[in-house]
Amino acid sequence: MACASSLHLRRSSLPLRATAESPVAKAVLIGITLVFLGLFLLLPLVVVFQEAFSKGAAAFLHALRDPYTLSAIRLTLLVAAIVVPLNTVFGLAAAWSLTRFRFGGRSFLITLIDLPLWVSPVIGGLIYVLVFGAQGWFGPWLREHDIRIIFAVPGIVLATVFVTFPFVARGLIPLMEAQGIKEEEAALTLGANGWQIFRRVTLPKIKWGLLYGVILCNARAMGEFGAVSVVSGHIRGKTTTMPLQIEILYNEYQFAAAFAVASLLALLAIITLILKTHAEWRAERQLREATR
Amino acid sequence: MSISISNISKSFARYPALNGVSAEIASGELLALLGPSGSGKTTLLRVIAGLEFPDNGGTVSFGGHDVTSLSAYKRRAGFVFQHYALFAHMNVFENIAFAFRVLPRRKRPTEAAVRERVGTLLEAVQLTEYEKRLPSQLSGGQRQRVAFARALAIEPEVLLLDEPFGALDAKVRKDLRRWLREFHERIKLTTIFVTHDQDEAFEVADRVVLIDKGIIQQSGTPAEVRSNPANDFVRDFLDLPHK
Repeated sequence: MACASSLHLRRSSLPLRATAESPVAKAVLIGITLVFLGLFLLLPLVVVFQEAFSKGAAAFLHALRDPYTLSAIRLTLLVAAIVVPLNTVFGLAAAWSLTRFRFGGRSFLITLIDLPLWVSPVIGGLIYVLVFGAQGWFGPWLREHDIRIIFAVPGIVLATVFVTFPFVARGLIPLMEAQGIKEEEAALTLGANGWQIFRRVTLPKIKWGLLYGVILCNARAMGEFGAVSVVSGHIRGKTTTMPLQIEILYNEYQFAAAFAVASLLALLAIITLILKTHAEWRAERQLREATR
Repeated sequence: MSISISNISKSFARYPALNGVSAEIASGELLALLGPSGSGKTTLLRVIAGLEFPDNGGTVSFGGHDVTSLSAYKRRAGFVFQHYALFAHMNVFENIAFAFRVLPRRKRPTEAAVRERVGTLLEAVQLTEYEKRLPSQLSGGQRQRVAFARALAIEPEVLLLDEPFGALDAKVRKDLRRWLREFHERIKLTTIFVTHDQDEAFEVADRVVLIDKGIIQQSGTPAEVRSNPANDFVRDFLDLPHK
């Protein structure tokens, strides 16, 4: 967190133009930003780690070795391992078709991809309950065939897929739009087939933008609370993911344990941020090269 | 190889780009498609290449064979793009070697054979010492020559060039024009290039086809067109006096 904010400020203060604000305004604006970042981002992060270790390192490790917590960590990793590859493929396919083909309703589709970002995640969970739940459209049929989706792992995966859908596609669409298809056409005239064009020409051009989207998608998949909470049923050791486990522990007044798990998620966020900053920087460079 | 196009029309979403164009290009000819921007000349070149497909009824034949439904590569048409479209992440050598790398395994030459063939092409465009450079480390004229060598790697039957000198400065343009003319004299590959610059067309080409509004306005040798312009568009475009 700290490294990103200082990095960001350093970068934005670089180009000093004649039209820049007065030094006083600049100092005030930077000051406000720093105070806000510190108060609302940095401080909570510090508190999370402080609380996690409030009863010492032994208690911290003990909390993480709790079987329910371990099962929650495993489930979170499992969900991410399913969702991230799925949404990487979906995102690539969506970005490919939306930037390579011109068709009616194209801009509507681009807007639609963002839907999970402006709809509350709870609704993302609820729609799956409505469709697959006991009282839902497919509820009776699913019960007859003894298939469990809601209050089971498939429901958690579906809800997470919904919430994390936009990240890969959103990262790729502007990049692929700017790069155009001339290199792909050149590859076509040189005898490359569709797969070879993707593998040897397109993928190297978009790899950093793709990685950027995958990192964000992964972070959200592991951290999602709302949508997952609706479909999970909170069955301990079976359908609780890390964020849900944190809530359960907290509600049971096991603060140190709750913060111990929370610190793992926070650590994930920090790692994500570092990777994201690097991927973003490389992606920006790729975009600059494309538009040069 | 001779090229014959007949009744080519092509409409994009809103406007017609080509409107029933027919033309014959003799084997070994160096032809210029000349016209203002938006005239449809680049679309025609892309239809010949197989990068666009004509609307119903139009046909493209290479050497008497109908290739209308064949992909760009199957037509063996080497294409040089306006801004070269070099693979930015590959060095000069790999750009030219690309056509060999994507061949099916049983047709793929050995690494030594690839080295040799790319080496020959690099020599032909005088870029031997630049093989390790990335496209971004080359000048415009050098990039143009890499694009040229890359298109020649498929041993094309026809060579199609989209505004080949468009993005270069005046001096390099002149040199490359002469180079293209000499190159053509040497191997007599059927070549079509698109340009909006009449000097370029008239200096380099055997024959010039003038296009406007998706229709061929006139076709002939530079001398024929100059001495006997077919209509007002040609007179205006070539700055010739009206009758």
